Amino acid sequence: MGTQFTRRQRLGYLLYGVVVLAFLYLPLIAITLASFSRKRYVSFPIKQYTTRWYEKAFDSLTISDIFWTSLTIALAVMAICVVVGFFGALAYARYPWRGRKTYQKFILLPIFFPQSVLGLALLLWINFLGIIPSWQTAIAAHLVWIAPIATLIIAIQAYSFDPALEEAARDMGASNWQVLREITLPLLLPGVVSAGLFSFLLSWGNFPLSLFTTGADLTLPEWLYAKMVSGYSPLVPAVGALTILGVAIILAVTITIMWLYRHGRRAA
Amino acid sequence: MSGTETSVVLRLEGITKKFGDFVALNGISLDIYDGEFLTIVGPSGSGKTTMIRLLVGMDEPTAGDIYLKGERVNDVPANKRPTCMVFQSLALFPHRSVGQNIEFPLKIRKVAPAARRARAVELLALLRLPADCYDKNVTQCSGGEQQRVALARALAFDPEILFFDEPLASLDFRLRKTLEKELKDLHRATGKTFVYITHSLEEAMIMSDRIAIMRKGRIEQIGTPDQIYNAPTNRFVAEFMGEVNLFRVRATGNGRLEALEIDASLASPDEEAAEGEEGTLMVRPEVIRFLAAGETADCVLEGTIFNEYVLGSRVQYSVRVGEKTLSVEKLREDRYTGEIDTKVLIGWNAEDSRLLGSES
Amino acid sequence: MQKSLRLAGLLSSLPILLLLALVFIAPLLVVFGFSIMPTKTFSLLQWPTLENFETIIGLSYYRSLLWSLGLSSATVVILLLICYPLAFAMAKVFGVFANVIAILVVLTLFVSENIRLFGWVLVLMKGGLLSGTLKAWLGIEMAGLLYNAPVIVFGMVYVYFPFMLFPLTLGISMVPNELRHAAADLGASRWTVLREIDLPLAMPGILVGCMLSFVLCTGAMLESKLLGGQKVIVMADEIETAFTYGQNWPLGSALSVVLIALVGVMAIFVLRRVDLDQILGRTNVQSS
Repeated sequence: MGTQFTRRQRLGYLLYGVVVLAFLYLPLIAITLASFSRKRYVSFPIKQYTTRWYEKAFDSLTISDIFWTSLTIALAVMAICVVVGFFGALAYARYPWRGRKTYQKFILLPIFFPQSVLGLALLLWINFLGIIPSWQTAIAAHLVWIAPIATLIIAIQAYSFDPALEEAARDMGASNWQVLREITLPLLLPGVVSAGLFSFLLSWGNFPLSLFTTGADLTLPEWLYAKMVSGYSPLVPAVGALTILGVAIILAVTITIMWLYRHGRRAA
Repeated sequence: MSGTETSVVLRLEGITKKFGDFVALNGISLDIYDGEFLTIVGPSGSGKTTMIRLLVGMDEPTAGDIYLKGERVNDVPANKRPTCMVFQSLALFPHRSVGQNIEFPLKIRKVAPAARRARAVELLALLRLPADCYDKNVTQCSGGEQQRVALARALAFDPEILFFDEPLASLDFRLRKTLEKELKDLHRATGKTFVYITHSLEEAMIMSDRIAIMRKGRIEQIGTPDQIYNAPTNRFVAEFMGEVNLFRVRATGNGRLEALEIDASLASPDEEAAEGEEGTLMVRPEVIRFLAAGETADCVLEGTIFNEYVLGSRVQYSVRVGEKTLSVEKLREDRYTGEIDTKVLIGWNAEDSRLLGSES
Repeated sequence: MQKSLRLAGLLSSLPILLLLALVFIAPLLVVFGFSIMPTKTFSLLQWPTLENFETIIGLSYYRSLLWSLGLSSATVVILLLICYPLAFAMAKVFGVFANVIAILVVLTLFVSENIRLFGWVLVLMKGGLLSGTLKAWLGIEMAGLLYNAPVIVFGMVYVYFPFMLFPLTLGISMVPNELRHAAADLGASRWTVLREIDLPLAMPGILVGCMLSFVLCTGAMLESKLLGGQKVIVMADEIETAFTYGQNWPLGSALSVVLIALVGVMAIFVLRRVDLDQILGRTNVQSS
């Protein structure tokens, strides 16, 4: 496949890729560096290093509260999206039903909407229903954007398996329920895990939807934003860096588990 | 083995299947006998796969009835029928081992693990797979091994009828030849009814008790391989059989035929053909002889050899007679010793040819 | 058989459809409702009026709209140029390494937008990573690069990079290699292959990528706030202001409706021309 590209060309592309990745990660590096700066208001180059902002972050009750809020929302969003997305993906890619093509496009619509508009619309709706916004309404808000994405991720997995597998299972006597349990679910599992991961992380880091719908509660991104625009606190880079680290760890763990699963299965 | 007086295990009556306006199957009626190996052959689009899907229960007929051992099964879904299909893609479960694949039909019927395993081992032996294959992941098996696993799995729950949807189509020549013979042996060993689809007539001839030839949703002819080979009902079936010489002819009433494409008079195999009746005369390449000086035959034609094709143990010649090109086939030892591009006399005996109906 | 599959499909779609009806359709209907309510009121039970739309046309809201559209267009063009080579490499050149790059890119998506943009603030501000390092190492004095229009585009290019990259990669992977080889074999230059084969066949992916980034850009709010310092007011800012400081839900809703209409029309236009089964059904980077 790649045989028609010369070594120089490949090297060129590789270099480009590295430059782009550097560009993508530069701000994250900047934050990490800034989090170790002794000075209250960061300026580069950093003369003195300290870890005291990290200590303060861990000690702070506010941050601890907000962390739990973000975590709860993210876990709830993940659980709901995985279930809804699994069935939605089956409807997307596996079952031939009338209206499927329209359904496919409709499900994607929320992704194409500006999140701030969606957030505000939800705020109006929540008020209209007489509900007071809180972290629970934020869950509903996140679902708008994230459930379609979860569905899409599992659907992509669903496209790549042979429909004959389910037919064969049915032909051999399996009931619909057995087919789902023995064939469909195990084969879609990688997609489901990816979708769960995405849902959790996208919810965790979401700002626009949370901003308008959490009401008096705060998520971590909201807190960070508030501090960035006014009342700057040197805890900001530290918390930011911790978030980055957290994301990296979760991803590394998940990928390792999936790799082990796949290789363990092969050996069986 | 080939049941002629034995019972009918599967009967189709007037089966029609439409997809929108397209008629895939057009009023098909067919009896399948218990224990026979029936192959359905036809070009793509003839409806073979559609028919099998109806028989297995993955689709419903638009009209007509299907009877399995006397019971009407139109509404019975696939998972309730005592039938099993081997798919073209084999549909082996990639996330399971060989043993788990084979045991699947038993597992969902809640058979105990020990009994399942025993049966799987039995099947591995029957299909000539090594016993240590049991724990191997199916994706790591070779093409031939995968075929056998698919067969073992299909046999696991002892279905009455096995269906095969062109399972050998994607294999290379050697493997195909081996598996064709093994399938026939398997049929003998298990005594079950096999219904097989292929587009290769050669494959059908090797394995089947009976062959059904399909075209555009209808069955053109059904019979034993011998019957079809010697007595094709019409031009389509005859042409489907491969290299065969066909002449458009008109009977001239005196036991002779006027060949319409070339200017010649031929002896007719059918003395009773009415004068003026048109039809097709079929002459197989292997019955035509090269006539030496002084030799004679019922039908004689003069032509020019213009090419020779060596097909292993046989040799084929293209002979131009007027506007028409004929095929003559000889065994290697009876090879024509003359030169190409020379004039020859070819001939055959009338009783070795056959008159087919006029419609094609 | 076929019928039960059709039923299964319908039933499977219900959870997400119901969910979206509740959190997507309903709120949008409320927004539409408010957009035709008298301005600065908070109830839906009044006589409809178009005064909000008149306000929008009359006052200079069109400036924010033009800014939004302009900045978004610039972003999309830049993104297309920057992402295409990388997407091409990922679809055709890199092989397995493409997955590594994909994971690294996706990783950045999980870090919240405002953290990432704040990182750029740290880099680009006066005394930030860029100017500070330049001063310390090379003695060059440099003013901060923030608080202007171009940096907003820069921010949007950064944030929405993955949303252009992945659809592009998908689209390009749909171009069969044999076609490219055949064209080259027949004498086509690299540019010709690009123009006649790559671009037309990758068009679904290109369209989706452009559409997605454009739409997301028009609704973007953080870049103009954090990087642009509110030097430029974009549509999303206006909407937020109307809802919060302005306490004018009907006006905010009307502005939202305008934005949604624009975005919705584009989305429908592109989605109609695109066959999702075809794009998503072939997600392997190796083309068939």
